[in-house]
Amino acid sequence: MGFELEGVGLIHDNGFRALGRISLRADRGERVAVIGPSGAGKTSLIRLLGTALRPSEGRLEILDANPWRLSAGALRRLRTRVGTIHQSPPIPPRQRVVTAIHAGRLGRWPAWKGLLSLLYPVDIAGAQATLARFDLADRLFERCDRLSGGQLQRVGIARVLYQQPDLILADEPVSALDPALADAALGELVEESVRRGASLFASLHAVDLALKWFPRIVGLRDGEVAFDLPADRVTEAMLHELYAAEGDTLPVQARDAATCAARARSSCN
Amino acid sequence: MSGTREPCEPRGAIDFCLSCVLTSALLVAAVVASFAYLDIDFPALFSHEAATSIGRFAASFFPPDLAPGFLRKTAWGALQTFAVAVVGTLLAGVAGLLCALPASGRHGAGAARLARFVLNLLRSVPELVWATLMVLAAGLGPFAGVLALALHTTGVLGRLFAEAIENAPPQPEQSLVDAGCGAVVAFVYGTLPSVWPQSVAYGLYRLEMNIRMAAVLGFVGAGGLGQMLYYHLSIFQQAQAATVLIAMFVLVLVVDALSDRLRAWMER
Repeated sequence: MGFELEGVGLIHDNGFRALGRISLRADRGERVAVIGPSGAGKTSLIRLLGTALRPSEGRLEILDANPWRLSAGALRRLRTRVGTIHQSPPIPPRQRVVTAIHAGRLGRWPAWKGLLSLLYPVDIAGAQATLARFDLADRLFERCDRLSGGQLQRVGIARVLYQQPDLILADEPVSALDPALADAALGELVEESVRRGASLFASLHAVDLALKWFPRIVGLRDGEVAFDLPADRVTEAMLHELYAAEGDTLPVQARDAATCAARARSSCN
Repeated sequence: MSGTREPCEPRGAIDFCLSCVLTSALLVAAVVASFAYLDIDFPALFSHEAATSIGRFAASFFPPDLAPGFLRKTAWGALQTFAVAVVGTLLAGVAGLLCALPASGRHGAGAARLARFVLNLLRSVPELVWATLMVLAAGLGPFAGVLALALHTTGVLGRLFAEAIENAPPQPEQSLVDAGCGAVVAFVYGTLPSVWPQSVAYGLYRLEMNIRMAAVLGFVGAGGLGQMLYYHLSIFQQAQAATVLIAMFVLVLVVDALSDRLRAWMER
């Protein structure tokens, strides 16, 4: 099992309810996309699954274990098997790319190996191979603050792939990438999940990307599950209802691409 | 209409700045009272015989003693002063970082209060007082100087490091903890890169100050150039004292230049 939520709710310290009582289950190796308007609770849900937040109510199991009933050591071991891709990569600006990638596996390495790697990177080949999947192999020794936003986001994805987790969580992982790169990066994530049998749970802004790459779509609105269906049974009407608060147009990658291209053309003339 | 305007009529100094006027008056009064209390004889300072005796005193420092034997001794003293400052600052850097971790509030409010109290205590005692205490505790010599500099500088650097750690973004370290990293490694990979350049710059700045301080600490018996200076001045060997003073000047210039270079290189 990838994860299972039963009546899980989240109420922030200030009393704001981010998630209602959500019940959701994903099998091992399953790929699920969560979509919904901003403020729907997508990030909160991902942080709950990543054990960064503790649920206020309900039962939560990650990779067949209840993280909040585990001992500190067992929780650490469980966390090494869960990798979270953040929308803005949490990488110190002055860190080298190779170090940022290696940081993905620090939970599995003994402490001495992690510290030694600061003096001389212990697995240059492994980091380079992971970066190569995102066309960034030549940036291995670049400092992260010298990368563009899109490059940094791809380094953030590469770091989690290097971690080799059994459950990959992704919070808008391709929001800073142009359409072609976004498509390729999602393809790599899906490929990793298929090859290693890892569950993949990703929140996406672009509905068409979700429908293209994920067999199962969860619609989230106001902290509640609006629908949870195979991708081919999600209808245009459902999507419009989900995004009703954001106007008539659905957020999709392709249209963004079209407008971008149009803008580029007009500025050329 | 005229009734509503009345409060805006200027009333002289009171409206302009009452506290400015009062502060200025108090300052002037304090300065005048200080001069009266200290009874300084300024006319004597600018008299003819004062000028000639100042001139004679200054001239007695020249020429400096440049005999090879004494130069070697001075170089040795300069090296000792340099070593005292470097070792003292390094020890303070390590101890300061160790104190800064609890002082930044990462290990609870109680530990933070205790660490801050210790840092404040170390910082509020000046180096010279620490040196006097350390000479009593550890005996005459450079070791007392190292301890004195390390104790005071730990207080200073610890507080600066703690502030840097507090201001560093928490997400990088938190994300590593969420991926199962141990606490030490998560700090080293997540927070230290954001804190490191600033901390090293602080450390180099303190090193520059400690070079000057180490030269002075010799006066209370903590070795190095200061002790030589004190010795030769107290037996009226001004030529030797001049050599030592020049050595101090050169040492300070060299270290300032080096640490400027190092800081510029780190800023890249």
